[in-house]
Order: sequence, then structure tokens, then C-alpha cells
Amino acid sequence: MASEQVVNGASEDSEEKSQKKSAKHDCGAADLEKVTDYAEEKELSTQDFSGAISLIGDQRNKQAAEKIAREKELLKVVIKKEDVDLIVREMEISRIKAERTLREHHGNVVNALIALTN
Amino acid sequence: MPSSNPLPPKENALFKRILKCYEQKQYKNGLKFAKQILSNSKFTEHGETLAMKGLTLNCLGRKEEAYEYVRRGLRNDLRSHVCWHVYGLLQRSDKKYDEAIKCYRNALKWEKDNIQILRDLSLLQIQMRDLEGYRDTRYQLLMLRPTQRASWIGYAMSFHLLGDYKSALNILETFLDQQQKGNNYDYEHSELLLYQNMLIYESGELKRALIHLEKREDQILDKLTLKEILGELNLQLKQYEKAAKYFEELTRRNPENTSYYNKLIDAKELIKSEDIVQFYLVLADLYPKSNPPKRLPLNYAVGEQFKTLVDNYLRQGLRKGVPPLFVDLRSVYNDKNKIEIIEQFCCKIFPNEVNNGPKEPASALLWVYYYLAQHYDHLNQTEKALMYIDAALEHTPTLIELFVTKGRIYKHAGDPYEACKWLDEAQALDTADRYINSKCAKYMLRANKVKEAEEICAKFTREGVSAMENLNEMQCMWFQTECALAYQRLGKYGEALKKCHEVDRHFSEIIEDQFDFHTYCMRKMTLRSYVGLLRLEDVLRGHPFYFKAARCAIEVYLHLFDEPIKDENIEQELNIENLAPSELKKLRNKQRKARRKAEQESALAAQAQVKRDQYHKAKQQGDVETDTPHLDELVPEKLAKVEDPLEQAIKFLQPLQNLAQNRIETHLMAFEIYFKKEKLLLMLQSLKRAHKLDSNHPKLHSCLVRFHEFLSKNRSSLDPTITEVLEKEMVVLFKNKDAAQLNKDYLDTYCNSLEAVLEGAKMLYYLNSKLQSTALGLVTNLDNKYQDVNIRTCNNVLKSLKKGDFGQCDSEIDQFMLKCQTLFPHAVDFRSPNSMTPCESNHVPPDPENYSSN
Repeated sequence: MASEQVVNGASEDSEEKSQKKSAKHDCGAADLEKVTDYAEEKELSTQDFSGAISLIGDQRNKQAAEKIAREKELLKVVIKKEDVDLIVREMEISRIKAERTLREHHGNVVNALIALTN
Repeated sequence: MPSSNPLPPKENALFKRILKCYEQKQYKNGLKFAKQILSNSKFTEHGETLAMKGLTLNCLGRKEEAYEYVRRGLRNDLRSHVCWHVYGLLQRSDKKYDEAIKCYRNALKWEKDNIQILRDLSLLQIQMRDLEGYRDTRYQLLMLRPTQRASWIGYAMSFHLLGDYKSALNILETFLDQQQKGNNYDYEHSELLLYQNMLIYESGELKRALIHLEKREDQILDKLTLKEILGELNLQLKQYEKAAKYFEELTRRNPENTSYYNKLIDAKELIKSEDIVQFYLVLADLYPKSNPPKRLPLNYAVGEQFKTLVDNYLRQGLRKGVPPLFVDLRSVYNDKNKIEIIEQFCCKIFPNEVNNGPKEPASALLWVYYYLAQHYDHLNQTEKALMYIDAALEHTPTLIELFVTKGRIYKHAGDPYEACKWLDEAQALDTADRYINSKCAKYMLRANKVKEAEEICAKFTREGVSAMENLNEMQCMWFQTECALAYQRLGKYGEALKKCHEVDRHFSEIIEDQFDFHTYCMRKMTLRSYVGLLRLEDVLRGHPFYFKAARCAIEVYLHLFDEPIKDENIEQELNIENLAPSELKKLRNKQRKARRKAEQESALAAQAQVKRDQYHKAKQQGDVETDTPHLDELVPEKLAKVEDPLEQAIKFLQPLQNLAQNRIETHLMAFEIYFKKEKLLLMLQSLKRAHKLDSNHPKLHSCLVRFHEFLSKNRSSLDPTITEVLEKEMVVLFKNKDAAQLNKDYLDTYCNSLEAVLEGAKMLYYLNSKLQSTALGLVTNLDNKYQDVNIRTCNNVLKSLKKGDFGQCDSEIDQFMLKCQTLFPHAVDFRSPNSMTPCESNHVPPDPENYSSN
């Protein structure tokens, strides 16, 4: 490990000369180097956020429930594997997207294809 | 939470210091502390320390070692969130974002409430635009740290990006209610309020937005934006008086901003052009030093009024010698009467005054010639343009603009070589002017002189690196795209593709570059600009620069599909079979020599490569931030021998389909690709989209005919579902006509457009090769029936003839070229190859009596 570092150091020295020229265009890079991405977050004065938090939590649960219901509805639609295959082959899209489009069109492959060619 | 191998207090303190060093970028010190832990025989294999050592090494540019240490650390401590987190960070620095997300998820499995990991995860999610995932992560962060401002803003932002304005506003309001008790109106607070206002505005509730802003006027420190939004809101709410008041204030603030004038006209409900002109005249008195109230009325005034106004405007410009005077006025050239008035003034009235009186300075004559040269160039009257530019050069032979204009006249006349000569001349007059330097390089590329262009650019690029490399580093896209186009014209397809891919990579890089802003903008509260940035990045590849490069790449790939580059070795082997033994021996000798030479060359190249790598390595160590992952080197030969040209073309096409769907060319290119792939429904998709944009586009017509023909030939073998789809959709496209009828009707309707007839005639021959002479007659007879006979259209005809779209027709090509040569004497494309030597065109300065002739 230690010997390796020495090797690295030597090669850096030999290149220093050639770099000097280009270095003048890079001034400022060194200053930038000192900047870190790390910043301490300011804490707000502790106040009673709990009421607001629970309100947001409720809303979130409701939205999640609605979304799941929508997805369930879509999953109920019966689709044929060969229809999905056809869509994937002809439209060159992912299976997931093909299935979803087909479900959104209640399994009607012609309508799904027309929608996809729009 | 604790790792499976906890450190004792002393080592633990050291470990904490490694973390601190990493955060503060003191990597060398970090390595020292890591060494202290690892040198203790009990902890040589301590997972978390090994991982941190790897991460630190990564920051020093030692990538391979970094991966080795991080992986070893992870293997030793699979249940440590630190190890997984570190592995994620390493992947992230290599831009493998999907992998990084997986690592973070693993880390969260062992420590589900770790703030730092959640934060890093949220950054990746927003970068990858997994908006729902982002919202969920921001929710967790809010729950864990409800006392931090960023938690609230981030959560609100996630709803905003999902388009759920109501939730976003709810969260912001809750947050602001809690906070406002402090009454500290700093700039960040002001920005936050403006962001809130933007949210209300985007939710469509303009009235609420206005009230919101009016109530908080004193808290907002960005007064300019405040006024602009207030004016805009009032305008949209049709409260014209108030809106006018704001825009009047804004014009006073900055009387050069043309958009304020336009808004003011809207607010004053001025519709008639006379009123608008009157409005500008009043303001011109009010702001005598500003340009817009003098220039803008020229767009509205007509007849006598235009005459007096433009007289004044031109007089001032010519007297002062304003170089961009013509460019400034070019937009009124869509009106024939206005062109005539301007011509009258410049050709007769003004020169007479200059010659006959001391009222105008003598230099004004120069600027009149200069203006008229551009004027006639714009009207495609090459000879007159040249006459005037030569007169100007005679007057003042040292004005750089004149050389540029002379070059431009030749470029428009179809002679890029002569154009390039004049730009080179201009460049030589002031080698320190970068604008002229770049212009010259561009003209050289148009003349296919890539090497010369690079040499010219080298005057301004960094020393020590080749200009080509430096221009790539600087993401100089105009240069690279023009290079690609030059290579395409020269038939160097591999080189052309290399340039296109380089441009494509710039766009990927710009998308990468947004990563830093996710944290920065949140912290600095520049939320409006942040949302603007995210939206820009979403449509980045819709930029015209990308379009141009992508079109070039697609055209090249389509060409390579039709005519793949042949492997030289195979061809040679084939030839060998027919050789006599003695000749074979000679050939083998030759090959051996060639091989030896090639080996020497590749050895040299390898040496150069090593040097370059060292250079990059050194650079990386100096500049840790830009440790871009090593991308495959773009090798022109390999690119040209592509195995799947159509798939590669689709890669360039897809961003255009998503982001440039309002340009018909996108869909026409898509059709060509899918036509070659024989994907019926995708052809249909391109046609439908193109049809919606411009149902009469000439190129679309030929696509439709070919599609029709393809269908009728393959009808029997089609899947019944596809047939059903096609039948439903084809009525709109074909109106129940067969291909021949479709083509005939099109030719009849657009019989006065050469561009349209070219496509129709092509299809005539395509459908029935017996009609060759009819088709050829249509496109090569350039009498008065076509209204669009110009260099571009004629060139398209010539290209089409040469490509074989009309079958064998050598004598017609020669005749057509002769005809075009008389029409466009300067255009090189119509000259026969043996007379290629660019003709010397020393224009004699015109004698003064000619000036007034129209």
C-alpha cells in the first residue's frame, strides 16, 4: 500500500510541469475543491406540529386507498396472453405498458392498438 | 441498528472521525484513521471501516480499489446499513442509479429510519423521476423530522410535481402557519411565498393567486418579479386598468423590454394598428433614448406613415453605422409594400442626399451599400447583392462585416467554397475575434473542410489538448453537429456517427448535472427556478440542437441499413481464390508489410492512450467532482460497422417522438425506419401523427403511397386483428382511394409546386416503372408552372435523380444540371464534376450610374 503511494506521488511530480500551462485556465478549481456538499440543517423552533402531521397522515391514507381501489379495478379485467404478445411485438413497447393499455381498454385489443397508434 | 461487529470506544471514535473527514472532504486524513483501525489485528476485516476506506478512495479517483474495499466490507458485514449505504453511494457516483436505489433499500431494511439514507434515496428518486416513490420517501422524512423546514418543503414539492396542487398547498399553508409567528421577512421567506403563489397560479385559481400576492406585497423582496406577476394576473383576470398601471411602471423601469410594451397594449385593449402606432409614438417621446418604441411601430404602420417612420429609423441607423440594421428590420420583409418603400429610400433618396449635401456623413454611403447587399441577398438577387457588397468593399476594404456578408451571399447562392474563402479572409483581419473565428470554422465545415475548421478553432481552444477533444469537453455542440453533417456529406459515416453520439452524450451529461441542484435548491429556497429546471430537464432532448444531431444520426443509420460497410478482409479472401500463385505471394508479402506497419501504429496509439489515461487520472485526482464514469470510447470504424442500424436509429428517434412530436420530420423519419422494419402498426402510428400536423406535406404523401402499396401486397398474410385496426384507421388517411388514384389527385392538386410534384412523380415511377418518362418530364421541366423553383428544391430533385428514384436516367441528369446551372450560376452542386474548380469571381465594382437601377 505504502509503496504504491510513493509510485503515485512520483508520477504526479513528473506531470506537474506539463500541467502548469493548463493550470492557469483552471484557477478557481482549487477554491471549488474546498466547498463541501455537507450542510447542517437548521432546526425550526419546536412547535406543535402533531396536529398538522396527523391531518396529513389521514389524507395520505385516503389517497393510497383510492389508488389501490383503482388498481384493483384494472386487475379485474380479463386479458388474453396472445393479445399482449401481439401488442408487444407490433408496437415494440414493454410488456407492462402493453398489459396496462389492454386493461384500460377492457381487454379490447383493437381499441388498445388504435389508442397506441395515436 | 448496530453492526454485527461493534467497535470498542476508542476505535469507534476513530470511525466517527473517518465519517467526519469524508463529509469535510479531508480524504487523506480519513485514510489515515482507517489505517489506524485496520492495523489493529482484531479489526483487519472490520466491514464498515473497509467500506468507508473504499468510499474515501473513490473520492481520490482510485475507483478499482474503491470497489474492492467496499465489496469486501459488505461481504464481512451484510447486515450493516453503513456498508449498504456506502455501496449505494459508490454506485451513485458511477451514475448507476437503479443499482444505487436497490442498495439504499437494503440499507433501510436494517435501519428503516435513517435520515441520511432516506435523504439520499429521495435524491435518486427525484433524479429518476420516480415521483410517487419520492413522495413516499419525503413523507417518511417529514414524519421523522417535522421540525425541519426542508421536510415540509420537500413533501409539498413532491405533490406539486405530481400535479396534486391541493395537497401541495395544504402542506405549505400548514407549514407557513406554524412559522409565521417569527415575522422575519428574509429573502428565503420571500422566495417561498412566490413559490406558493406559483402553486396557486398553476392550480388555475387566478383570483386567489392575486389576493394572495396583494396581501403579502410587503413581505416579498423581489420587487421586479412581484410587479411582473401582479401585472400578468390582473391582465389575465381582465382587470385592465390595474394591469396597465403595473406595466407602465415596468416600462419605466426598463424601457428596452419589448414584452412590457406588448402587455401594455393588451392592457390598454388596443387592437387597431393605427392606435398601436399612436401608442408607440407617445412612448417614443417619453423614452427618447430607447429603441423599442421606435422599432416596434414599423410592424404595424402601413403606407405613408410607414414611409415617414422607416425613413427616420433607417436614416438614424445609417448615419450612426449600426451593423445589425438589416437583421433588425428583416422581420418587416414579409410585406411586399414595405420592401419597396425601403428599397426606394436606400437606392434613391438617401444616396442622393449623401452625395448632394453636407447634411449626411460620407460614411453613410458605406452603410447603405452594406444594407443593400443584405437586402438583395435576402431577396435572392445574387448579382445585385454582390455588386453592392463589392461597392462597399471598394469604399472601405477593412470592414470585417463586409467580408462576412460577401461570404454569406455566396453561401446562399450555393457556393460554400467561395463563401468559406471570404470568411477566412474576414477571420484573418482580426484573429482575436472569437465570433468571426467561429463563423469561419462553421463555413469551413459547410465546405467539408473539417481539418481546416479544427485548425481555425485551435486558435481559441486550450493548449495541450487537440482542438477536437477540447471542443467536445466544452460541449461545443454547433461545431460537432456541423462536423457530423460534413462527414455525412463526405461519406465518412463512422466519423459522422461518432460526432452525433458525442452530442447525445452531452445531453445525458446535462441531465446528470441536475443532481447537485436537488439539494442545493431546496436549501437555498430557490424553488421556482428549481421547478423550472426540473421541467427543462424533462424535455431536454426536445432542443433543436438534439434534433439536428439525431436527424443526422438517423439518416446515416438508414443509409447503413441500405448499404452496409463491407468487411475488407472477407472481400480480399474472395479475391484470392482467383489469383495466380505468384501474385498470391506478392499479395501475402504486401499484407505482411501492412500488418507490421499497423502493429507499429497501434503500439504508438497504445502509448498515446496510456498518456491520455494518465492525464485523465491526474485531472480526476485534482477535480474529484467530475469523476464521470468511463464511457466506451467511440470508435468510428466500429460505429460504421453497426449490426443493428435500425435499432440504433430508434434510440435517437425515441426522444424526438416524445419531445419533438410537433415537428412533422420526426414522424416522417419514424416512418422510414419502421418501413424498413416492416412494422405495420408503427408505420400507421407515424402516418397518423404526421397527418395530424400537416396532411398535405409532400414527404407525407410519398409515405402514404408506399404504405398503401405495401398493404395491398401483403394483405393476405396479415394478422386479422391488425387488418381490423388498419381498416378502421385507413379511411382518414386514404379516403378510400387506391394508391394510383391517391397519387394522381395529389399531382393534380399541387401541380404548381415542384416540391410536391417531385414526391408525386417519384411515386408515379414507384407504382409503375413504365411511366418513367412522364415522371422525369414532370420534375425536369422547370418552366413557369412551378412557383418554388429555388436552389433547395432543384437540389432535392437532383439528389433524387442521382439516387435512382426514377431509374436509369443519366442523360436527363446531365440536362437537368445544365438547366439549373443557367438558373443558379454560382451553385456548385449543379456543376459537372470535371468543371469543379471554383470559378474565379472577381466582381468589378459597379459604376455609379447603375446604383439607381432596380
